[in-house]
Amino acid sequence: MTDTRIFGYADPLAARAGSKIDFMISVEGRDEVAARLVRVLHGDENPEGPGYVEEAVEIDLPAALAVKRQFTQVGSFARADDPMGRLDGLASFTLFAHVFPTLPKAERQQIMGRWDIEGSKGFGLGIDPDGHVAMWLGDGTGGDEIRTEIPLVPRCWYFVAASYDAATKQAQLHVINCVTQWNSRISTVVPFEGDSWIKETLRHGPGATAGAASFKLASATAFNPVRGHYGAFLFNGKIDRSGVYSRVLTRDEVVGLAKGAAPVADGLVAYWDATANLGRNGVGDMIRDTGPHGLHMQGVNRPVRCMTGWNWRGEDSYRLAPETYGGVHFHDDAMTDCAWEVTHSLTLPEGLKSGVYCLKVSGGGAEDSIPFIVRPKTPRAKLAVLLPTFTYLAYGNEHLSYEAPIAQAITAHTPVIVAEDLEYKKLDEFGLSTYDHHTDGAGCCYSSWKRPIITLRPRYRLPAMNFPWALPADLSLIWWLEHAGYDYDIITDHDLHAEGLDCLKPHACVMNGTHPEYYSEEMIDATEA
Amino acid sequence: MTRFYEIGQRPAEVVLHPSGDAPLHRRRVPFTRRHWFKWRSRLNAKTLEQERMLADKRPLWWALGLGALAVAAPFLSNPMLTIAAIFCIFSAINVLWTLVIGTAGIFSLATLAIVGIGAYVSAAMNVYLGLPWPLMFVAGGVAGLVVGGFLALPSTRLDGLYYALLTMGFAEICRVFVQQLKALTVANGSINNVDSFIPDAWQLQRPGLLLGFAGAFVILLLALLVFRVVNSERLGMLLQTAREDEAFAEATGIDYRRARLHVFLISSAGLGVIGAFYAQFYGSISPQVFSLDQLMLLFAMIVIGGLGRSEGAVIGTAIVVLIDKGLLNLGPVRILLVAAIMLIVTLFLHNGLAGAREQFRGWRRRKQSEARARRTEKGGEVMPEEAIEIADKQEVYYRRFQKRLRERLKALITPELIEEHRLNPLGHHSDALSRVLNHFRRGEVADKYAIMRQPEAFHAYKIVAFSGVRGAPPRLVDDKTYYDINEAYHAVFLLRVNDLMEA
Repeated sequence: MTDTRIFGYADPLAARAGSKIDFMISVEGRDEVAARLVRVLHGDENPEGPGYVEEAVEIDLPAALAVKRQFTQVGSFARADDPMGRLDGLASFTLFAHVFPTLPKAERQQIMGRWDIEGSKGFGLGIDPDGHVAMWLGDGTGGDEIRTEIPLVPRCWYFVAASYDAATKQAQLHVINCVTQWNSRISTVVPFEGDSWIKETLRHGPGATAGAASFKLASATAFNPVRGHYGAFLFNGKIDRSGVYSRVLTRDEVVGLAKGAAPVADGLVAYWDATANLGRNGVGDMIRDTGPHGLHMQGVNRPVRCMTGWNWRGEDSYRLAPETYGGVHFHDDAMTDCAWEVTHSLTLPEGLKSGVYCLKVSGGGAEDSIPFIVRPKTPRAKLAVLLPTFTYLAYGNEHLSYEAPIAQAITAHTPVIVAEDLEYKKLDEFGLSTYDHHTDGAGCCYSSWKRPIITLRPRYRLPAMNFPWALPADLSLIWWLEHAGYDYDIITDHDLHAEGLDCLKPHACVMNGTHPEYYSEEMIDATEA
Repeated sequence: MTRFYEIGQRPAEVVLHPSGDAPLHRRRVPFTRRHWFKWRSRLNAKTLEQERMLADKRPLWWALGLGALAVAAPFLSNPMLTIAAIFCIFSAINVLWTLVIGTAGIFSLATLAIVGIGAYVSAAMNVYLGLPWPLMFVAGGVAGLVVGGFLALPSTRLDGLYYALLTMGFAEICRVFVQQLKALTVANGSINNVDSFIPDAWQLQRPGLLLGFAGAFVILLLALLVFRVVNSERLGMLLQTAREDEAFAEATGIDYRRARLHVFLISSAGLGVIGAFYAQFYGSISPQVFSLDQLMLLFAMIVIGGLGRSEGAVIGTAIVVLIDKGLLNLGPVRILLVAAIMLIVTLFLHNGLAGAREQFRGWRRRKQSEARARRTEKGGEVMPEEAIEIADKQEVYYRRFQKRLRERLKALITPELIEEHRLNPLGHHSDALSRVLNHFRRGEVADKYAIMRQPEAFHAYKIVAFSGVRGAPPRLVDDKTYYDINEAYHAVFLLRVNDLMEA
C-alpha cells in the first residue's frame, strides 16, 4: 500500500440533478488532492467483459482540494446536554442505573459518569478490566477506585449504584441483581447470589473536569492532541433508567430504586428515563431527563432503543408496554455517521445526465472513487432503472467472509479478497453492515451512507462469491442500456420510499436492480398500486 | 441444599460466603491504598454462590507463627527462653540482610560488622560517656547509617563477588581494629557492664530473661515492618523492575542505583539499632561479633531459608539457632549438621525452604502437562482433565463429533475425488465430494483459507488464511501465484485435504 490513504463519502448518496452534494474526504499523508468527476458506465474489471468504463464529466471543480485526516468516532454512547455544568464538580453524589452488561473485556467500560481519561479527573461508574463493578474518582492530584469483589455475570440485569460522601470520603457500591424469570440469561430457578455492597474510605475524591469531559452514558472522555476529545471506555450492553443525586442515598432508597420505585425528588439532579419518549412510531436518539433540570441525553452513533428493559415481562412489542422497554443497547463498534467536515460541496448542473457518478479523488499514488447516484431534475425517459439503494446499504461494508463461519458453506465458494478490502477491515472504522454482528454478538441493525462504503465502489466484487454485487453488479445493467442505446432515468429505493407511486408513474417501464431485497411498506404499496 | 462431590484441588479450603445485602467494608492500611488482606472472591459458576477466600495467606501464617512464639514464651525453660530471644535477634538481622541481598541485590557480607559497630559505638558511648540506654538505639542507628553510607559507595562500582570479598575484609579489619584498641576496650577487645533495658537486679533472673525475650521479639517485629514497607512499597517495586531488566528499568526512568543505595542505608541503620540492642541484651560486646564463623553461620541461615524472602530468613534462622544453641551437648557435630542441611537444601531446592512450595507446584504442573501430552493421540477429543475446565459442556461433545466426522471424511478422500475437484472446482459434485467440501467450508474462520487477488492482474491469486480477529489481516500461506482462479480453488482444496489427513 502507498503512504497516502484516501477515503470519502457523499451525502446524500442519491440526488436530483441541480441539487447539492457534500463530499466528506479524509486523507492521510497529504494535504492536497486532485478531484475529477466521472460517470461510471461499467465497473467490473473481468477481462471477459467490457472492463471498467467511465466518461469524464466537465464540471467546475477546484484544481486541488485542501484535505486533512478526519477522525471517526466508533461506538455508541449518549451525552448529556449540560451547558450549566450541573453534573460537574459534584462533591457528594450517587450515580445509579439498571444495566445489562453483555461483554466483559480487557478494557474499562464506563456505564455513566464524567471522567477525563487524560487528566484522571472527575468520576465514573463502570466495569473494570476484570469484570467487577467499579467507581473511579480523580481530583487531578491522584485517583482512587472502589470495586466489587465478584465480577458481573454477562447478560443479566443488575441495578448498580455508587455514592461518594465528600465529608467522610467514604464511597459505597451497591450491586443488586434484578434477574427475573423473563429478563436475563438465567432464570430465578438457580440460586443467584450476584449482589454486592461495598464500603471503602478513599484517599481521593472527584474533581471538576470543566471542558475536559462531559457527562456520558456508556463512555468516558478521552483526548488526543490531533483529534481532540472523543469517547472511549465504551460500554457494551443495555442501560435502562439511570440518574444522579447530589447526595448519598440510604440503603433503603437504593433498594427502592432497584425495585423500580420512582426516584425521590430530594437531591435529584437528573433522571434519564428511556421510556419517557417512546412513541408509536419509535423514538429518536434523545433520552429524556425527567428530573428537574432537563439534562437530556443525545445518542451518538444511534444507540439501539426500544430494547427490553430490566422490568420486561414478556410483552412482545414496545407499543404494548413501553414502560418495560427502557433498554438502550450500546455497542463499542456501532458507527452510523462518520460526521466528517465537508471537504467540498458540489452543485450538480441541472442538465446532468441521470446515472452513477464518482468523484475521483487522487494524490500520492492513492485514489478513491466516491460514488453517488444522480436522478434527473424531472423525469425524462420512458424507462426507469430502480437502483436498490436499501439493499446497497444493508450490505454496506459487509464482513461475512471474514467473520461468518457458515458463509463459505452457503455460497459454496472460497472467498476471493482484495487488498482494498483489508485496508477497510484493518481500519475498523467505517462500520458494519446489517449482516454483521457487534462485538458482543448482537446483530447490527443500522446502516447509513454517511461513511465510506467499499461495497459501493464500482470495481468491487463481493469476496464471498467472487462476483460483482449490488451497485457494481447493477452497473452491468447500466452498461447494457448504454450499449444498446436506450434512454433511461435512474431512481432509487429512497425515492420510491419517499414519493410512492408518483415516483413510478412518469415511466412506462421500471427495471429492477440485480438484488432488490429490501422493500418498505411504502415501496410495496407504490409497486402494487 | 444439594451436597456436591468435593472435586478440585482444595476441597478443604476455608470459604466465606458474604451476603450481598450486608455491607462489606474493604479496610485499608492507613495512609495507603492497600487493603489489609488480599481476598479472592468469585461467583461459583456451579452453585452461583458468592465465595470469598484469602488469596494471600501469608499474613495468616505470620500471625499464627509469631503469636504462637509470643504465647509459648512464658512457659519455656530459661535456656529455651534465651534461645528464643537469640532466634529473634538473629531473625531480625537476617530479615534486614535479606533486604540488602534480595531486594537491593547488593551482595554484602558486612552485615554483622555493621551490627558490631552499632554495638561498639553505642556501648562505648554508654560506658565512657554515660549515654543513657534509650539513646543507645539512636547512637547505634546513626553509627550503622554512617558505616552503611561508606560501604554503599563501592557497591555500585564493584560486581557481586568482589564486593562480597571487600565487605568480608571490612569485617576482619573491624575485628583486628577493635582488638588493638586498648584505650577503649580494656579486656580482650570487649566492652563490659553496658547499661540495659533490663534492670540490673533482674539480670539472669526469670523476669530479666522474659523482658529480654520481649525486647528481642519487638526488634523482630520492627525488622519485619521495615522489610514489609521497603520491600513491598515504592522502593521494592522500583527494584523489582530493575531485577528483571536493568537496562529496561533505566530506560523507563527508574534510578535503580539510587533505590539500591536507599535500601542499603535503611537496612544499615536498622542493623545499627539491632547492634545497640545486642550490646544491651548481653550487657557486653566482644570482637566475636566480627568473626568469620559467626558470619558463616548467619550465611547458612539465609541459604537454608531462601534468599530474598522474609519468611525464608526467619525459618532458616529458626533451624540453625535450634541446632547451634539448642543441641549444645552434641558438641562440634552440630556444625556439621548445619553444613549437611545447607548442602541438602542447595542440592535439591532452587531457593531455600521458603521456595520449596513453589518449586513443588512447578514440578506438579510439569508432571500434569507431561501426562496430558502423553495422551494427545486421542486426536482433538477433550481430555477428562480438560473437561472440567470447559464451562459449556456442549463443546465436549462437539469436539467428539468433529473427530468422528473427520475420521469418516478421511475415508472418502481418494485420488479420484481429488481429480474430480481439480476438473470442476465449483461443481456439480458427487455426494462424497460435497460432504468433504461442506465440512471444509463450515470450519471456524480463524486460519480458514481464502484467495487474495493480486494487484498485478485480474487473474493473479495467492492463498491466504484469515486471522479470525476483526481488524487483523490474513496471513500469506504460500508465495505461489496462481493465474487461473480454478487452480487457486483447487490449491485451497489440496491444502484443506492435507490438513484433514494430518488432523
